Amino acid sequence: MHISDGVLSFSVVAAGWAITLVLSALILWRCKYKYDMAEQIPKISIITGTFFVASLIHISIGPTSVHLLLNGLMGVVLGVFAFPAMLVGLTLQAFLFQHGGITTIGANNVIIGIPALISYWTFRFGYRKGINVAFMGALCGALGILLSGIFLAFILISTGEEFREVAYAALIAHLPVMVIEGIITGSVVSFLLKVRPELLPVDTEV
Amino acid sequence: MEYPEIDAFASLNSPIHRFDPRAKMLTFTLLIFSFAFVDDLKIALYGFLFSILILLVSRLPMGFALKRIRMVFFFLFPLLLIMPLTVDGEELMNISGISVSTEGLAYASLIIIRALAAVTLAFTMLATTRFDMTMKALYALRVPGMLVQMLMFTYRYIFVIIDEFSRMWESMQCKGFRLKANYHGLSIFGNILGMLIIKSYDRTSRVYQAMVSKGYSGRPRALINFKMSTKDYVLSTCMVLIAVSVHLINWY
Repeated sequence: MHISDGVLSFSVVAAGWAITLVLSALILWRCKYKYDMAEQIPKISIITGTFFVASLIHISIGPTSVHLLLNGLMGVVLGVFAFPAMLVGLTLQAFLFQHGGITTIGANNVIIGIPALISYWTFRFGYRKGINVAFMGALCGALGILLSGIFLAFILISTGEEFREVAYAALIAHLPVMVIEGIITGSVVSFLLKVRPELLPVDTEV
Repeated sequence: MEYPEIDAFASLNSPIHRFDPRAKMLTFTLLIFSFAFVDDLKIALYGFLFSILILLVSRLPMGFALKRIRMVFFFLFPLLLIMPLTVDGEELMNISGISVSTEGLAYASLIIIRALAAVTLAFTMLATTRFDMTMKALYALRVPGMLVQMLMFTYRYIFVIIDEFSRMWESMQCKGFRLKANYHGLSIFGNILGMLIIKSYDRTSRVYQAMVSKGYSGRPRALINFKMSTKDYVLSTCMVLIAVSVHLINWY
């Protein structure tokens, strides 16, 4: 699900890094005026660590196993901070576990982080409209994975026509994960709403 | 679950271990970016051999290194299966009507070799420096403090959260829970995950208060006393020359 080193062309890698760095800087710079960053940094970090650990868990489906991405959930819990938090998580994942590549951290962050932001905005919109929270959670979890799959396929094809079939195969491989993450995210979100509703940052304006 | 202890062998002694952390970060990153974009299979192979050489010089235990580096195969093996069948080109062989192309095979192996070279270098870079030294080197290289702090805290708490999760997981196993990909299994797993998030959220406020009482203000204060010696300068120059020459050879 992550793109490894050596796959993408230089221009795609450069574009990925540019989008990631500019967007992260923009989010952190905006939030600097809204929040006390000294308080936010440990909080974001520990929650990022939790997601990092959760992504190590493998769930077996038939002969293969998938590991969780949880970008939809990360968007719902962390809000706009999900994007810079993802940068930290992916960097650690690339260096500590060799999942994904080092040169492609930027591109991977676009693939996973932007769907997280979209999931967050979708969730907030649905929450304010009063739609069932468990349903919105499941929708956002599935949406995060679906968009990641589409972004991944798009990035692979834009690096070279040779990857067309690989991109389709990757997109199809995302479909079962989409269902799994939908169910998990729905259950996590309704659990959080029951036990600790202040954890869902739906009432903040960013 | 295993701890992601990348710097378990950082206390060994070798030329790579003694290399100044700042120079190591810069030159290795340059090499990684250089090797990851080589277009020629043969030069990519030389790049890979060079990174193996660095790994050997660093005297890291081979089993420890192999366990990490083999991850590349899990990620890229599908490419080796799919690309020879789908990329058009000269026919290498024909298996009952499905043609295998030389171009596809060459391209897939180029990608895998580039990835192996990059991962070997990245692994050697982190495994030969203590993690806090790597973070100090990042501060010294003027990486934004907010990002470095987030990297440092996240790394630190991964260990704690793995313990926390293992405890919860064990107690679930004792109660007969088995994670299967059906609705019941996944929604129970969602509750475990929700509890893990709540537990770590509660931990954040305790950690923050403890940090504030020790004088934390959001601005890191690190004592940095790195010193570049002649050896460091020579080694860095060699690395930079190799990184650049890999791309110059292609032009001639």
